[in-house]
Amino acid sequence: MPDSDIILEGKNLNKSYVDKGKKLQALKDVSFFLKNGEILGIVGESGSGKSTLLRHVSCLEKPDSGNLYYKGTEYTGKSPAFAGAFLQMIFQDAQMSFDPRMKMKKAVVEATKGCGHEKLSRILEAVGLDESLLEKKAGSMSGGQCQRMSIARALCSDAGILLCDEATSALDVTTQAQVVALLQQLREKEGVSIIFVSHDIALVSMLCDRIMVMKNGECVEEGETGRVLGNPQHEYTKELLDNLIE
Amino acid sequence: MNHKRKKINRIKVIVSAGVALLLVLIALFASVIAPNDPYATSASAIRSAPSGEFLFGTDNLGRCVFSRVLYGARTTIAATFILVAISFILGSFIGVLSGYYGGILDEIMMRIADIMLAFPQMVVAIAVAGILGGGLSSAMIALGITMWTGFARLARSHTFAIKNCPYVQAAKLAGKSGPAIMMAHILPNIIAPLLTNALTQIGTTMIGISGLSFLGLGVVPPTAEWGSMINESRAYIQIAPWAVLYPAIATIVTIIVFNYLGDCVMEYRDED
Amino acid sequence: MDTILRISNLSAGYGDENVINDISFEVEAGKRVCIVGESGSGKSTLLKAIHGFGGVTVTNGSIETPKDILLGVVPQNPGGSFNPIRTYKAQIMEALKSNNIDFKIDEVEKTLRILGLNDAKRALASRPYELSGGMNQRMAIATTMLLEPGILLCDEVTSALDVKTAGMVVEQLLEINKLKGTTILMVTHHLGIASKMADYIGIMKNGRMLEYGPAKEILENPQNDYTKNLLKAVPRLKVS
Repeated sequence: MPDSDIILEGKNLNKSYVDKGKKLQALKDVSFFLKNGEILGIVGESGSGKSTLLRHVSCLEKPDSGNLYYKGTEYTGKSPAFAGAFLQMIFQDAQMSFDPRMKMKKAVVEATKGCGHEKLSRILEAVGLDESLLEKKAGSMSGGQCQRMSIARALCSDAGILLCDEATSALDVTTQAQVVALLQQLREKEGVSIIFVSHDIALVSMLCDRIMVMKNGECVEEGETGRVLGNPQHEYTKELLDNLIE
Repeated sequence: MNHKRKKINRIKVIVSAGVALLLVLIALFASVIAPNDPYATSASAIRSAPSGEFLFGTDNLGRCVFSRVLYGARTTIAATFILVAISFILGSFIGVLSGYYGGILDEIMMRIADIMLAFPQMVVAIAVAGILGGGLSSAMIALGITMWTGFARLARSHTFAIKNCPYVQAAKLAGKSGPAIMMAHILPNIIAPLLTNALTQIGTTMIGISGLSFLGLGVVPPTAEWGSMINESRAYIQIAPWAVLYPAIATIVTIIVFNYLGDCVMEYRDED
Repeated sequence: MDTILRISNLSAGYGDENVINDISFEVEAGKRVCIVGESGSGKSTLLKAIHGFGGVTVTNGSIETPKDILLGVVPQNPGGSFNPIRTYKAQIMEALKSNNIDFKIDEVEKTLRILGLNDAKRALASRPYELSGGMNQRMAIATTMLLEPGILLCDEVTSALDVKTAGMVVEQLLEINKLKGTTILMVTHHLGIASKMADYIGIMKNGRMLEYGPAKEILENPQNDYTKNLLKAVPRLKVS
């Protein structure tokens, strides 16, 4: 019986790739859950499988085994279009999140099947962007602006869950701080639930309610942020904390 | 410094495109420009040297070489453009499909392309044209059989690079279908390099068509075509060298112009 | 202490356009200096102006270094500076030879060891394409160090590396500075790295040096508003 508070859940997800004859297990029996209105942080180094996990949760890839649930209903193996109705991804490369040849207006409206103008202006205001940017293309906008715009696009589609894949790692620190503040604000005001994948454990500690630590495709530790970082159980979590450069 | 080079490159593109356009216009208006009927034989003017009446002289049957070169331009250039266009459309279509969907479709398509690439283009073309018999259309089919693979490979590799871009994934999550994504997001972003490649193919294709005609596998006489004109008149090259010289010059100039145009556009694009 | 690098009123850029304007600061021999800035601040242009590669033209001001010292440059992406399929040994020998320095295996091994490459033989026999980004970055630093530079100029050397490797490389740079007394000038966007290794910190924005001074002062008592903002924006571990 699933917890009614749980909006998104993954159980025993497995995925392996074959690369040059070698089998690489990208996800090993990974399970997670996301509560409504929660920010879940996933930390790990490159190659830990954290981005792979997001691609599976959003149905961009299909797992070898395991199940995915949205509000208790299984959606394993459905199309990205199906998952797109309740979750949207925010990518690391903000600029490339938009077709370089398309104006923002077209890119955002097209992606959201004709989101009304009133709603669009409200959302743009919420993410702190001027409407004049809708006439621009990604190439003539800054990374921070692009990232805000891709958050706006996600919100326009009425998805209540944002999957952020290193969404702020390519941004300058000051811009990163603004985008992170925006995410926090969206959670407070719009009730958005977020999975925030990042290699930056300090950033995750500031933003997230719960943390999941991944290594080599496995979830090695999971729990409340304060508990995991204050009293890490797994060696790897300790190591990550030791290596932190502040 | 970079700015200057970019400017020079732009001028190069404009000039070579202008010359290429001129050649195309000449081909289009061959019937207007040509002073004589290219097929009218004249017993009184066999192999006469270039003069006011016959600018490039006449051939073995007394036909005006100048008019024939102009009409030949129409045959050669039109055949080349049609062939490149068809290979381009077909090859790009196949390439984008196999790049986007991958899997078994991709495997099959690319293995076929590999097999085609294993043979030199001209050898395949000669064999196929031989089997199909003479005629311009069989020459075009013979060349097209290997040509589409180049476009397909290029389109595939560009599609491959783009399909994992965040904006394509975002489009998938927004519920867009595969064909819609290919049309709206992939094709517009890869069309420029594909067109550049098409431009560079024009020169080689022209050599191919003229070459096959020269070997008697392309255009059937008396149709005016540069390759077949050279072939017909090379028997009496010592008596009437102009009958070989002018179609040969026309071929070389046209190929150089289109190759140069292709190179210039490529260079110009690489600058960004 | 001797001044090893003096930059006065430096303006430089690409073509006619100045990217950095009116920059002045001095570096004492043996110190570790970090220039911190976000993208577009002109920090890399400053570094390029100092080492002279990368097509930067100096339009005004001067860069003075003692005549007899060599400037060692470690790029952000070491891949570009090595031939991917030749062994490091061959490439290091070549680099040394063109600087008229003898290849002494003891010396080479010692340097590699400082950089945590304990199996020097194996490292030397390997080729760039076989090694990870972090390993290649360390080989690049080692190669540069063998040329006995007076100043080591580092351009974002840690930003392409994962956190753990970045931390190790920083430690190793500190070790080099301690053992050999090499002056280090590093450009980075990462304030954490600057606070970990720098004696002096410069903060750049929009092509200008907003603040330059001892690291402790800049980090604890910044005068400029932008510096304050920057310090505030850095994520800090929050436990509980």
